[in-house]
Amino acid sequence: MGIKTVFVAAVATTSVSVLVAQPFRAARAAVEGLRYERPQAISQRTSGAEINATLTAVPGIKVGHFTLAERPTGCTVILVDGDAVGGVSQRGGAPGTRETDLLNPLNMVDKVNAIVLAGGSAFGLDAATGTVRWLEEHNIGWPAGASKVPIVPAAILFDLGVGGNPKVRPTADCGYKATDAATTAPVPEGSIGAGAGATVGKFGGPGRSMKAGIGSASIVLPSGLIVAAIVAVNAVGDIIDPATGKVVAGVRNPDGTFADARKILRGGGTRQPPRAGENTTIGVVATNAKLSKPLAARMALMADDGYARAISPSHTNGDGDTIFSLATGRWDGTADITVIGALAAEAMADAVVRAATQATGVAGIPAARDLRK
Amino acid sequence: MTRRMAVLLLAAVPACTRVPADNPTLTAVEGILVGHDTLAERPTGCTVILADGLVVAGVSQRGSAPGTRDTDLLDPVNGADRVDAIVLSGGSAFGLDAANGVMRWIDEGHGPWALRPTDVPIVPAAVLIDLWVGGKPSIRPDADCGYRAAGAASRARVAEGSVGAGAGATVGKLTGLARAMKGGVGSAAVTLPDGLRVAALAAVNALGDVIDPASGAVVAGARADDGSLRDARTLLRSGAPLQRPRVAENTTLAVVATNAHLTKAEANRVALMADAGIARAVTPAHTTADGDTVFALATGRWIGRADLNEIGALAADVLAEAIVRAVKQATVVAGIPAARDIK
Repeated sequence: MGIKTVFVAAVATTSVSVLVAQPFRAARAAVEGLRYERPQAISQRTSGAEINATLTAVPGIKVGHFTLAERPTGCTVILVDGDAVGGVSQRGGAPGTRETDLLNPLNMVDKVNAIVLAGGSAFGLDAATGTVRWLEEHNIGWPAGASKVPIVPAAILFDLGVGGNPKVRPTADCGYKATDAATTAPVPEGSIGAGAGATVGKFGGPGRSMKAGIGSASIVLPSGLIVAAIVAVNAVGDIIDPATGKVVAGVRNPDGTFADARKILRGGGTRQPPRAGENTTIGVVATNAKLSKPLAARMALMADDGYARAISPSHTNGDGDTIFSLATGRWDGTADITVIGALAAEAMADAVVRAATQATGVAGIPAARDLRK
Repeated sequence: MTRRMAVLLLAAVPACTRVPADNPTLTAVEGILVGHDTLAERPTGCTVILADGLVVAGVSQRGSAPGTRDTDLLDPVNGADRVDAIVLSGGSAFGLDAANGVMRWIDEGHGPWALRPTDVPIVPAAVLIDLWVGGKPSIRPDADCGYRAAGAASRARVAEGSVGAGAGATVGKLTGLARAMKGGVGSAAVTLPDGLRVAALAAVNALGDVIDPASGAVVAGARADDGSLRDARTLLRSGAPLQRPRVAENTTLAVVATNAHLTKAEANRVALMADAGIARAVTPAHTTADGDTVFALATGRWIGRADLNEIGALAADVLAEAIVRAVKQATVVAGIPAARDIK
């Protein structure tokens, strides 16, 4: 039995879900009545009929998760079939990353083979080592004389305080297994992989947070342009649906209703300054368009607006918020970078919201879907 | 009299530091003065934010088509530890000249503080591009415009709408200029019970639509034939044919300010976090055709303590509010409709 199943069962049998269900509905009603009376119809998914509405909708992109059994943490590997041009936007104040300097357009290497997202704080960067090992075994990498060097940028999030022994964190073995598990199938979402121990809504101090995890979304245009996103959401802030302005998951009041980080900020409640050891949202946007390295960096920069829209507050000093971009160039059409970047921001905001709606409760931390029952 | 002495003198006079409760704009922050100058010949102009005292500054420059000066100086790695003014201007790169006028005005000793002969006024600036609006593109803000705006600067509630740097500003250009709506200058402020104050001023000339993040609704943006709002998000997701964004038409500029004390590095973090306000209220934002730039100012006039993240998060919040106000307060210019005219 996987760790996800274990914790779903655990939460279902505790009183947490029962206790919080009623106030949750009350919170929604209160929030809707008070401030957000103008809902707007922007569809959450591009098309409900699509078979794969996740990152793997981009041809040539595979995704694999590995979730540890000992503690809710893990890693997620985005594996490129061949290679892709990469970029990065690193704007959170407490990052843990590797190979991000390489993605600077001023620097030489313009192809990446995989991106690793992992829990476990800086320890989790070790997961990329496992991905490098897997790629070397498959003779994939940047040609460097006698050998091929796998190019594997990575970023981590901080989940050491969740659900047990903080010494348990993703290792190279986790990265290797996640890489080996990577497929083109629709990406499993929720409390899995790098998002297994991810939480949100920590602006009000301990015990008031909610569970988030992995979310993914894709947008396919009639022209054939595909832009998609995957994210592991472990933010200080609340998750907001930008289409309506409503809180999806976030800081709870003692009675279980949403406190709304935006209201807390404006003086409406106790607040807890973000702590660097608890947070960070990390993600990847990908497109089948062909982009130069500077334009891939622009795509990542614009995708970062997806964080700003769906997370409040975002990019704090307690978050290591980072977004990687990948352009596979397999599509023959042409699209303006403004369209690609804008869609990347849209897909990323969708993915962040899904990370909250698809998560399941872990270690007594309730998720949005548990509360809706 | 040294600059620091001037600050202390001002701080000792309650009338100078107290802010009327009915001023929900950038000048609610003690130590910040704002002045506009709007040209008569064509809808364009400049807006000067004057720093009264030792004000620390940072910047977030993330649009792809910027026009700026003295932004390198704001890098925490570099030396200058205070600024005297920020200039926002129309007129594309030509409009950077307005900052020269502000330097002249300060150098002549008109500022609210005393200068030593060797003092060099530090005046970072950023421009937006409005040359296509309302007549001759050769009319643009020059040094005199900056000089006049500095002279007009006061602690009064900031005038909003189609004035100053926002006089020729427009939004909603994804489907072409003919479907655009009027942008402008907007401002907003928040004061916490403990006295922390964070405020924003924006000159909104975005390629994208302006969205109210509290509801997700479009406030102003690209219009359909019948004048209704098309919604940039719907346009983008449907793959509808869009006009290729042109660099000569856009850019959102902003200044956020707080009365808290910040280091230069912290001021840059506040500018970075405030940039989320542009992302939330403008869709799409930070495009290759926008020179989106946010300056952050910290006057340090408030003695209390606040977490940096709190200041940054509030800055994002009030900046989004200021952007929404910019289009709500705008009035028709050169036949370009404003949100207040659309029922």
